[in-house]
Amino acid sequence: MGLFSLSCLLLPIFLSLSPALSTNSEGNALHALRTRLSDPNNMLQSWDPTLVNPCTWFHVTCDTNNHVIRLDLGNSNVSGTLGPELGQLKHLRYLELYMNGLVGKIPKELGNLKKLVSMDLYGNKLEGQIPKAFAKLKSLRFLRLNNNKLTGPIPKELTTLSNLKVLDVSNNALCGTIPVDGPFASFPMESFENNRLSGPELKGLVPYDFGC
Amino acid sequence: MKSRQMIHFLLFFSILGAVLDVSLGDDPSESYWLLRVKAQLNDPSGVLNNWSPEVHVCGWYGVTCSDDQLKMVGLNLTNSGLSGTISPEYGFLASLEMLDLSSNSLTGSIPPELSKLQNLKSLLLYSNSLSSEIPVELGLLKKLQVLRIGDNLLSGKIIPDIGNLSELRVLGLAYCQFKGSIPLEIGNLKNLMSLDLQKNRLSGQIPQEISSCEVLENFAASNNMLEGDIPSWVGSLKKLQILNLANNSLTGPIPTEIGGLSNLRYLNLLSNRLTGEIPRELNGLVQLEMLDLSENNLSGSISLSSTQLKNLNALFLSDNMLTGGLPNNFCWSSSSLKQLILARNELSGKFPLELINCSSLQQLDLSDNNFEGSLPSSLDKLQKLTDLLLNNNSFTGVLPPEIGNISTLENLYLFDNMITGSIPEQLGKLDKLSTLYLYDNQMTGSIPRELTDCSSLTAIDFFGNHFSGSIPATIGRLKNLVVLHLRQNEFSGPVPPSLGYCTKLQLLALADNKLSGTLPPTFQFLSELSTITLYNNSLEGPLPESFFLLKSLRKINFSHNRFEGTITALCGLNLLTALDLTNNSFSGPIPSTLGMSMNLTRIRLAHNHLTGNIPSQLGQLSELTFLDLSFNNLDGNVPSQLSNCGKLEHLLLSNNNYTGAIPSWLGGLEELGELDLSSNALQGSIPRELGNCSKLLKLSLHSNNLSGVIPLEIGNLIALNVLDLQKNKLSGTIPSTIQQCKKLFELRLSENFLTGPIPSELGQLTELQVILDLSRNSFSGEIPSSLGNMVKLERLNLSSNQLQGEVPPSLRKLTSLHMLNLSNNHLQGRLPLTFSGFPLSSFLGNKELCGPPLALCSSQAMEKSLSKGEVAGIVAAIVFVSALICLTMLYMMVRIWCNWRRVLISSSEGSGAELKREEMWIHGNEKRRNNGDYWKMNSWLAPSHEKHPSSTCIFQLKMDVESPDRTSL
Repeated sequence: MGLFSLSCLLLPIFLSLSPALSTNSEGNALHALRTRLSDPNNMLQSWDPTLVNPCTWFHVTCDTNNHVIRLDLGNSNVSGTLGPELGQLKHLRYLELYMNGLVGKIPKELGNLKKLVSMDLYGNKLEGQIPKAFAKLKSLRFLRLNNNKLTGPIPKELTTLSNLKVLDVSNNALCGTIPVDGPFASFPMESFENNRLSGPELKGLVPYDFGC
Repeated sequence: MKSRQMIHFLLFFSILGAVLDVSLGDDPSESYWLLRVKAQLNDPSGVLNNWSPEVHVCGWYGVTCSDDQLKMVGLNLTNSGLSGTISPEYGFLASLEMLDLSSNSLTGSIPPELSKLQNLKSLLLYSNSLSSEIPVELGLLKKLQVLRIGDNLLSGKIIPDIGNLSELRVLGLAYCQFKGSIPLEIGNLKNLMSLDLQKNRLSGQIPQEISSCEVLENFAASNNMLEGDIPSWVGSLKKLQILNLANNSLTGPIPTEIGGLSNLRYLNLLSNRLTGEIPRELNGLVQLEMLDLSENNLSGSISLSSTQLKNLNALFLSDNMLTGGLPNNFCWSSSSLKQLILARNELSGKFPLELINCSSLQQLDLSDNNFEGSLPSSLDKLQKLTDLLLNNNSFTGVLPPEIGNISTLENLYLFDNMITGSIPEQLGKLDKLSTLYLYDNQMTGSIPRELTDCSSLTAIDFFGNHFSGSIPATIGRLKNLVVLHLRQNEFSGPVPPSLGYCTKLQLLALADNKLSGTLPPTFQFLSELSTITLYNNSLEGPLPESFFLLKSLRKINFSHNRFEGTITALCGLNLLTALDLTNNSFSGPIPSTLGMSMNLTRIRLAHNHLTGNIPSQLGQLSELTFLDLSFNNLDGNVPSQLSNCGKLEHLLLSNNNYTGAIPSWLGGLEELGELDLSSNALQGSIPRELGNCSKLLKLSLHSNNLSGVIPLEIGNLIALNVLDLQKNKLSGTIPSTIQQCKKLFELRLSENFLTGPIPSELGQLTELQVILDLSRNSFSGEIPSSLGNMVKLERLNLSSNQLQGEVPPSLRKLTSLHMLNLSNNHLQGRLPLTFSGFPLSSFLGNKELCGPPLALCSSQAMEKSLSKGEVAGIVAAIVFVSALICLTMLYMMVRIWCNWRRVLISSSEGSGAELKREEMWIHGNEKRRNNGDYWKMNSWLAPSHEKHPSSTCIFQLKMDVESPDRTSL
C-alpha cells in the first residue's frame, strides 16, 4: 500500500519534471496539429518539437523574425481534424490545407489569425458552419472553402472584410441568402454554386431570411 | 554431456529408490519421495545438501515434522534459489499440511497430483514462473485454507472448482494471465478473508455472488478489464478493510453504500470511468487511511473532509472534472493528512485557506486547476511540507516571503501562473529545496544572492519571466545544480565565472537575454554539460579554448551573438548532435575536426565570416540532416565527399563564393528537401540528376553564372514548392515537363536568356500563388491563354520579353492577381477589362496595347454596353460637345479664313480637373499621345503615325469616372 501511494504521488511529479525547454507557441501549435493528423505520406516527419522554433520544418515558412507565415500542406494526403491551437499562429499569412482529407468543423479560433491573407481549405470534408469569427480576419484577401461539406449560412459579418478579393464557397451545403454588401458586391455567382443558397439577400424589404 | 550425466544421475536415484523401496517395504518413506522431488530441482545454492539418507528427514532443510517426529507436516522451500519443475511426487507426501515453494524460479505446470495432499491447509506457489492452467484437481483439496499461486505465468480461466475449497481463507491469484470472468463459485467461499485477483486479464462484471463472502477483509481486483458498475452490495461486506478496483473499466457512480464500510482502511478506484459526484457518504469511512479516486470522470464539488475522515493519510482526486473549492471544514488541527493530490481538475477560487490547518501535509498538489488570487502568507504553517505543486493555475500576486520558513520544502512548482514581483531573499533559507520551477510567470527583479544558499538545488527553471540584473556571482555555490534554465528574461551583465563550478550541470539555457561579455574559461569544468543554449544575447569575444574538454556536450546553440575568433574549440566533441553558431562573427576556416563529431545531425554556421573550403571530412557525418553554411566567405568547390551525407534534408550554401559546377551527385541525396546554392559564382549547367531529388521542396539557384538549358528532369520534382533560377545565364526554352511540378507556388526564372514561347503547359500549375516571374528574358510568341488557369496567382511578371499578340482574355480569370507587369513587350490589342485597376506602368512599353488603363481602343468604346442613364448622359454630352465643337469650328473656320493661323482646339473646355490629368499623362508619354483622329479635324494638328483604333477624350473621360483606381496614377 505504501509503495502504491508513493508511486501515485511521484507520477505527477515525474510527469512535470521536464523543464520548459521550449515554449515556442507556434511550434507547439503546429505540433498539436501534427498529433491530430494522420499522415501516411510522412509529410510531417521533419516536425521536431524539440527544435527552438518550427522554421526549419518542411512545409512551414517563417519570416526573418522566426514567426510562421506560411503553412503549406495542400494536396498532402493528410486527414484528421483542425484544432483551436492553429489560432496561435498569430503571424500566419498563408494557410494552405487544400485537397486533403480534413474532417470536422473549422475551428473558430482561425478568426484570431489577424495577419492571414489567404485561407485555402478547399477540397476537404470539413463540416459545420463558416465561423462568424472570420469577420476578424481583416487582412484576408483570399478565402477558398469550396468543395467541402459546410452547412449553415454565409455569415453576414463577412461583409466587413474590406480586403476580401476572392471568395469561393461553391460545392458545399450552405443555406440562407448570399450577402450583397461590401466585397460581396463583386464576387461572381460561380463562387456560390452548388449549395442550398436561396439567392442574394434582398435589401430594404422585410427580411424573408428565415434561416436555413 | 550434461544431459547424459543427468540421465546417469536419475538412473542412480531410481536404483537407489528401488533399493530403499525394498529396504522399507511397501510403504516408501517421505525421505524417499523427497529425494525424488530433489531430483527434479536445480539447487545452485545447495540448500538441499543435507537432504541425504544419513540425516533424519525431520532435520532436512525446510522440513517440519509433527511434534512426535512421526509425520512430516510442512515443507518450506521459499526463496531458496531453486529452479526446475514441481514434481508430481509431492503428491506422495500425504501428511503434508503446508507446502511453500514460493519465490523460486520453478517452471512447468502445477501437477494435478498435488490434489492427493488431502491434509494440505496451505499451498504457496507464488512468485515463480509456473505456466499453463490451474489443474481442476486443486478443487479437491478440501482442507485448503490458503492458496497463493500468483505472480506466475499461469493462464486460462480461474477454475470454478476453487469454489469447492470451502475452508479457503486466502486466495491469491494476482499477477498472472488469467482471463475470462471472475467465477461465481467464489461466492461459496464463506470463510474467504482475502481475495487477490490483481493484474490479470479478467473481464466482465464483478459477480454478485461475492457478496456472500461476508468475512472478506481484502478484495483486490485492480489492473484487469472489469466492466459495469461498482456493485452497491459491496457495502454489505462489513469486514472489508481493503478495496482495490483500480485500473479497470468500471462505469457509473461510486455507490453511496461504500460509506458504510466502517472498517475500510484503503479504497482505490483509480483510473476507471466512474461518473457522478463523490458521495458525501464516504465521510463515514472513519478508518480510511488512503483514498484514491483519481483518473475518473467524477464531477461536482469535493464534499470530503478530513475532519470526519480522521485517519486519512492520503487523498488522491487528480485527473477528474471536479469543480468548486474545498469545503470550509476540510482540515482540522490534528488531521493526519499527509498527501493531498488534486491536480488536473477544474477547481477554482482562491487558494483554499482551509488547507493551512492540515499541519501534517507533506505533499500538496493543486496543479492544473483554475485557482486564482494570491498565495497566502500563512503557507508557512505547513511546517512539514516537502512538495508544493501549484503550477498551471491563475495565481497572481507575489511569492510570499514566508515560504522561506517551510524548512522542509524540497520541490516548489509555480510555473504557468501570473505571479509577479521578485523572488524573496527568504527562499535562501530553504536548504532542502531541490527543484524551483517559476517559469512562465511575470516575475521581475534580480535573482537574490541568497538563493545561492539553497545548497540542495538541482533544478532552477525561470524561463519566460522578466527577471533582470545579472546572474549572481555566487551561483557557483550550487554544487548540485543539474538544470539552470533562465531563457527569455532580461538578464544582463556577464556570465559569472563561478558558474563553471556547478560541475554537475547538464543543461544550461541562458538564451534570449541581454547577457554580454565573454564566456569564462571556468566552463572547462562543466564536464557533465549536455546542452548549452546562449542564443540571442550580446556575448562576444573568442570562445575559451578549453571548450573541447566538454566531452558530454550534445547540443550547442550560440546563434545570434557577437562571438568571434575560430570555432576550433567546438570541433571534435564526440557526442555532439547539433551545432548552431548562426549570426556571429566567427572567422577562419571550418576545422576538419568537425567531421569527428559523428553524431552530428545539424550544423548551422550561417552569417559568419568563415573562409576557406568546406572540409571533405564533413562527408563522414552520415547522420547529418541540416547543413547551413550560407552567408560566409567560403570558396572553392562543394566537396564530393558530402555525397556520403545521405540523410541531408537541408543543404544551404547561398551567399558564398563557391565556384565550379553544381555537382551531379546532389541527385543522390534522396532526402533533400531544400537546396539553396544561390548567390555564389557557380558555373556550368544545372545537372539533370537533380531531378532525382524527388522530395525537394525548395530549389534556389539564383544569382549564379549558370548556363545551358533548364533540364527536362526538372519535371520529376513533383513535390517542388519553390523554384528560383533567376539571375543566371540560362538559355533555351522552359521545358514543358514543368507542368508536372503541380505543387509549385513560387516560380522565378527572370533575368536569364530564356527563349521560345512560354509553354502553354505552364497553365497546369494551378497552385502557383506567390509569383510567376519570367521577366527579363527573350520569350517570344503569344502569352498562352492557359495562364488564365492560375486562379490563385497573386503576382505575374512577364515584362521585358518579346511577347507578341493580344493579352489573352482568359487572363481575366486571374482574380487573385494584385501585381501584374506586362511592360516592355510587343503586345497589342485590347487589355481585358478587369486589368483596368492595374497601374499604367504594368503595360508600358507595348506600343500597340490599348484599353484601360491605357488609352481606350476605339472599337471597344463602341461595343461597351452602357446603361440607359449612361447613354442619356453620353448623348447629352455628345450633343453639347458637338454643338460646342461645331460652334468652335465655325469660329475657327472664320478665323482661319481670316487669319490662316494656328489654333489649338480644346475639345471639351468645360471638363475641369479630369481633363487636365488626362493631358498630363499624354504629355508624359509623348509617343503614345492621344491619336484622336476619329475626328479627322485633329489630324492636321497632331499627325498620327499609328494605325490602331483610337478614341476620343469624351470616352476616356467616361472611363475615368468608371474606374476609380485610375486615381492612383
